Amino acid sequence: MKGTEEENLLSEVTEKNYEYGFTTEIDSDTIAPGLNESVIRTISSKKNEPDWLLKWRLEAFAAWSKMEEPDWAHVAYDKPDLQSISFYSAPKPKKVLASLDEVDPELLKTMEKLGISLEEQKKLSGVAVDFVMDSVSVATSFKETLGEIGVIFCSLGEAIKEHPELVKKYLGTVVPQRDNYYAALNSAVFTDGSFCYIPKGVRCPMELSTYFRINQAGTGQFERTLIVADEGSYVSYLEGCTAPQRDENQLHAAVVEIISHDEAEVKYSTVQNWYPGDKNGKGGVFNFVTKRGICHRASKISWTQVETGSAVTWKYPSCILKGDDSIGEFFSVAVTNNKQQADTGTKMIHLGKRTRSTIISKGISSGESQNSYRGLVQIHPGAENARNFSVCDSLLMTDKCGAHTFPYIEVKNPTAQIEHEATTSKIGEDQIFYCQQRGIEEEEAIGLIVKGYAKDVLNKLPMEFAVEAQKLLTISLEGSVG
Amino acid sequence: MAVLTDIFKSTLLPPTRRSERWKYSPISKLLNTSLSTDSEAINSGFSKEVDPNPVQGLEAYRLVLRNGKFDASLSDLPVAQGVVCMPMSEVEDGESPEFQNTYSQKEWVGELNESYHQDGMFLKIARNIKLDRPIVIHHLTDGIDVASFPRHFVRVEEGGEVDVVIWCSSTKKSSGMYNGLLEASIAPNASFMLEKVCNEDGEIYHFSHENIIQERDSRFMMHTFTVKGHWVRNELEIVSRGKGTDSIFNGAYLPTENEHVDNHTTMDHTSSDGTSSELYRGIMYGSSTGVFNGKVFVRPDAQRTNAFQQNTNIVADRGASINTKPELEIYADDVKCAHGCTVGQFDLDALFYLKSRGIQEKAAKALLVEAFLADVISSVPSTELRKEIMKIYQERHGW
Repeated sequence: MKGTEEENLLSEVTEKNYEYGFTTEIDSDTIAPGLNESVIRTISSKKNEPDWLLKWRLEAFAAWSKMEEPDWAHVAYDKPDLQSISFYSAPKPKKVLASLDEVDPELLKTMEKLGISLEEQKKLSGVAVDFVMDSVSVATSFKETLGEIGVIFCSLGEAIKEHPELVKKYLGTVVPQRDNYYAALNSAVFTDGSFCYIPKGVRCPMELSTYFRINQAGTGQFERTLIVADEGSYVSYLEGCTAPQRDENQLHAAVVEIISHDEAEVKYSTVQNWYPGDKNGKGGVFNFVTKRGICHRASKISWTQVETGSAVTWKYPSCILKGDDSIGEFFSVAVTNNKQQADTGTKMIHLGKRTRSTIISKGISSGESQNSYRGLVQIHPGAENARNFSVCDSLLMTDKCGAHTFPYIEVKNPTAQIEHEATTSKIGEDQIFYCQQRGIEEEEAIGLIVKGYAKDVLNKLPMEFAVEAQKLLTISLEGSVG
Repeated sequence: MAVLTDIFKSTLLPPTRRSERWKYSPISKLLNTSLSTDSEAINSGFSKEVDPNPVQGLEAYRLVLRNGKFDASLSDLPVAQGVVCMPMSEVEDGESPEFQNTYSQKEWVGELNESYHQDGMFLKIARNIKLDRPIVIHHLTDGIDVASFPRHFVRVEEGGEVDVVIWCSSTKKSSGMYNGLLEASIAPNASFMLEKVCNEDGEIYHFSHENIIQERDSRFMMHTFTVKGHWVRNELEIVSRGKGTDSIFNGAYLPTENEHVDNHTTMDHTSSDGTSSELYRGIMYGSSTGVFNGKVFVRPDAQRTNAFQQNTNIVADRGASINTKPELEIYADDVKCAHGCTVGQFDLDALFYLKSRGIQEKAAKALLVEAFLADVISSVPSTELRKEIMKIYQERHGW
């Protein structure tokens, strides 16, 4: 019977356990939970930061103290108690790392489980990995190769020490300290992150990749990524994450800033697979992220994301199209299952003339999850002949889930051309019937249809990520979508 | 000078820009005015500027309100079996309608209407009765700093059918606030049509809220035309409470100069097998602002809902702007829901085509506007009304 088959498939999905739920045992240097000015001073001094950065952090903290946690997103959750979170946790450095042999064997194992062992990465894939375990980078590869062409790719902490002038020039220029509640929090307490600088006219020969992992129970993760692409340069940056299974909610409030100078291009791809909580909605990561890029003349920023994890997601990678002829792109697949809640989308702020933006968002909701697209397209008075095209589709897999669309369109220029369309539907029975007629099993047919549905976005991912993304999509919806 | 909140007391606070539903439509200017429901009329009798019968040639019943007060001499109410139609002020105490909507608990505007409401229409259509002609409610604002709070109630019993037109006008020197509410409940298999036209001179802050409750297999069709208005906010809320309802609601807005037009619609599918179709079109001229917010809810039990929403805008001049937000909130899976939203200009190719055939730019643009509006206007049931609306749009914009 079809009905029972569907039920079986459903129960398979809902009973599916988180595959990456393991914890790595490493000694951690964790400070006591809570947040106040002295915690910020401790973080800053532990990291031997210069005074200007401490001042910057304290400004952010002062601004944050006056802010209220936003509640406009279409999500419901118990607000995390920030006073019970420890804001600093770094694996204790054992030695200065010169070769792989010196890397903590526990770490290497973790990476192997994730399928990104450094050796393999070095030898085979040509991807430089800046591996972030909790909050401090412990292994960086391909640095020398990149160094030859002048590309700087290191942890933010290292960049603050070695390239203070660059960090000082760009930090907080796209996402200011007081931008929003979580960005301000991040500015005050960020522990580490990645820094990337591509010099003028350089096309970065390999994809830069960072793996994030939340490791310590009770540790909030506050990453800060800063990417600067100088004039005429190109870089493709990959970010992916998995987190161990925990019962208490973990907060992840990252900030990503991208500066794309004249004629530069930055491609930022994310596969997000934080722990989503169990099937009853217990545990799981709160993912409150601020990602924003600024485009100067004739430059381009492209955000691609595959979102499958987190209990609550609140994430809007945005582009400020400041320069004339600049381009912003946003491609997203967001999958929610069980009790997951996602409120995600993008902002395209058109300031320059002939600026163009494309938004393609594909939401898939299953179980009892809620999946929302929230986007803003804003055309300012000076943005002559700006162009935007948006498609937001939602696919509903069960009768208990929800799919929502909240697009904001604000136009203040008579030459703008904006198109927005959104559809919500379930997989057509006629589509499945067509496949079945041709000897394709129902489950396989659903998988086929979903992959076809998400293809527009998956195609935009770099090769290395596309494989993982497909795998994640399958894992996240296994049973109901093949 | 007393501010508005001192004159009209309320427990709810007036909306500010921080409120999501009002962020694009600030009313701070209105709040600093001093209005009264007893303002003197500028003209004695009905104004000479405005004809009490707004749609010439349309055979219709008429209920005329001036500054919120019923004018019996100019009204012509239907007297027919199965039809109760009277001004609210004449409804006997035991008969007064029970409003079901909760607007007065949710919004400051609604609370004011509830507390200070004046007259309005009370209409009941009995089972299987079809009223032969439309009823035109003509509301005239004539006076300086006038506050009017009309309130209408419509009940269409099973199989009944009625068409109501709400026409709002005002004289050139008038100013103040119009705060009107209409609640209609449509019984199974009944049909209700509503056309609303705002053609107000002067400086009126116009708030109107329509609350429609649809039962099983009922039909509702509404058209909202904003021809002229200093500051206009049209709110429409439809709740489909029974299976298989059909709702069609269309609108057109062509603000110019400094005008502000806001259309907020909510379509709430709480029951299964309903269909809804929405089409709003706007052209923003001068330095006007347009706002559109369309919400479609599909509740968990509303399986097999088919909802469609479209909002098309043209920003015609530098300085004009549009803020639009078409929203879908869907909690059922076996549904077909789509929305589309565009902002653009007149099709330059089409314009070139017409010009190359000797049609002047102005006339060519008028043709394109007419075509743009045709999709909205053409579904208005009465020919006379359709013609009149097109005519006043044309006069307004000098095509």
